[in-house]
Amino acid sequence: MLRLEGAAVEIAGVTVLRGVSFTVPPGGRVALIGRNGAGKTTTLRTLMGLLPLRAGRVELDGQDATHVPAHHRARLGIGYAPEERRLFGSFTVRDNLLLPAQVLGLAGPEIARRLDAVYGLLPELKEFGPRKAAGLSGGQGKMVALGRALMVGTRAVLLDEPFQGLAPALALRYAEALARLRAALPDVAILITESSPDLLRALVDTTIEIERGEVSVA
Amino acid sequence: MSWFAENGLLVGLALLDGLSYAAAVFMVAVGLNLVFGVMRVLNVAHGSLYAIGGYAAASLGLFVASLGAPPWAGLPVLLAAAVLVGALLGPLIERLLLRRMQDQEPVLQLLVTFALFMILEDLQKLAFGVQPVVFDAPLKWLGTVDVPFGADAIPFTAYQLYVLPGVALATLAILAVVLRYTLVGRMVVAVTVDREAARAMGIDAAKVTLLTFTAGAALAALGGALAAPTVSLVPGVGASTIVLSFAVVATAGLGQIEGAAVAALLIGLGRSFAVYVAPEFEVVVPYAIMVTVLLFRPQGLFGVAETRRI
Repeated sequence: MLRLEGAAVEIAGVTVLRGVSFTVPPGGRVALIGRNGAGKTTTLRTLMGLLPLRAGRVELDGQDATHVPAHHRARLGIGYAPEERRLFGSFTVRDNLLLPAQVLGLAGPEIARRLDAVYGLLPELKEFGPRKAAGLSGGQGKMVALGRALMVGTRAVLLDEPFQGLAPALALRYAEALARLRAALPDVAILITESSPDLLRALVDTTIEIERGEVSVA
Repeated sequence: MSWFAENGLLVGLALLDGLSYAAAVFMVAVGLNLVFGVMRVLNVAHGSLYAIGGYAAASLGLFVASLGAPPWAGLPVLLAAAVLVGALLGPLIERLLLRRMQDQEPVLQLLVTFALFMILEDLQKLAFGVQPVVFDAPLKWLGTVDVPFGADAIPFTAYQLYVLPGVALATLAILAVVLRYTLVGRMVVAVTVDREAARAMGIDAAKVTLLTFTAGAALAALGGALAAPTVSLVPGVGASTIVLSFAVVATAGLGQIEGAAVAALLIGLGRSFAVYVAPEFEVVVPYAIMVTVLLFRPQGLFGVAETRRI
């Protein structure tokens, strides 16, 4: 269970989040819907510890994670796929997927098991494996970013506008992959942001709207 | 043909000189490049580490020699002095100063590192004096080699022929392997490419930065230590080194380890040819090379233009 409570965040002196609270239960699929600049990316970066909270708290499975540094959140089991995919271009796709698991110091067999699981959910990643990440299209890169988040996201996965800029065929495949996640990861809390609710309607069980840094349940 | 017959030896000497000079400059420039990569701070004081490395190595070498150590001991002393300078000053500078400057305006960063450079320059004068320091025991111990060049042979010191380029090549090879094939190297690359994404993947970016800065400081100090036996150390050596390594980094393009080696060769050779052929242009040649490259390739010879986003 991932919970944000009364989160207030400023970026460069401008208030972006004003008391945002919501919960993603274990196994929950929650959509966070809002226009550009509404605070979606800021919400996810706050959950990842990449922005300081002026007020409020972050909780993971009932434990206070507010002051856990960003680089320890992956260790807590939070996987994150940022909006601009942010892969490491000079690494192969496989090395991009392996990096967070290796950084955590997971044992070789465990890493292999997780990689197989990710390949099972996203079979195209196995084909891309030996290719340099810089050579992928935007849509293929989004798939890799999802896979990378799943490598460490054993408790929560945050996906920032995964459908943004995807070609229709890829968007369909991405949606299919998300649907497979429901069965494969029944305990993982998944939070997905998007600017339009239409794409996610069939994939989520709760929709939260965010506008000017304030949320309301739709 | 007749010019070459008359000046052939000069060309050979310029080649050899340029090679050993390029080796020392590469050691400084590659560290500057790595540090800029992870911190996005152009550290003007990086040249001071070269100067202090040189002075520390020469002083330690003279001291050890005065204790009656055999002449070969000069070589490990050079290495030890560089490691010492890097391990002491690197973490100190990163922790106390540069870490606090990371999110500041670039102008402020430049001013602060420039101030640090001035302070270190004066501290260096306090510690090592302003008289030229000469420690050429390793140079003398290794003797000279006759390098065949056409029908002639050029006598050249074995130290400059083997040790300087050898250490630079070893550094290049080690860095390339570490950055490409080890986890810690991949973490350095990840922080360089995208600090925030790296942190989200579980990488302790602050620790990676400290490690990289310390390694960069030790490399600069090693460059100074290796160059020490070939020059007499005087105040101001730090300034000329940092400016030259800026030229190398800009010519190569940021984030390019092998590129920095090629650019160091280009600029080292260019400078030494100027010394022999047209000495009045010695100072200008490195920057003329840099400006020419940047006019046609603003991202540097090997730099990659911003990758596409979508």
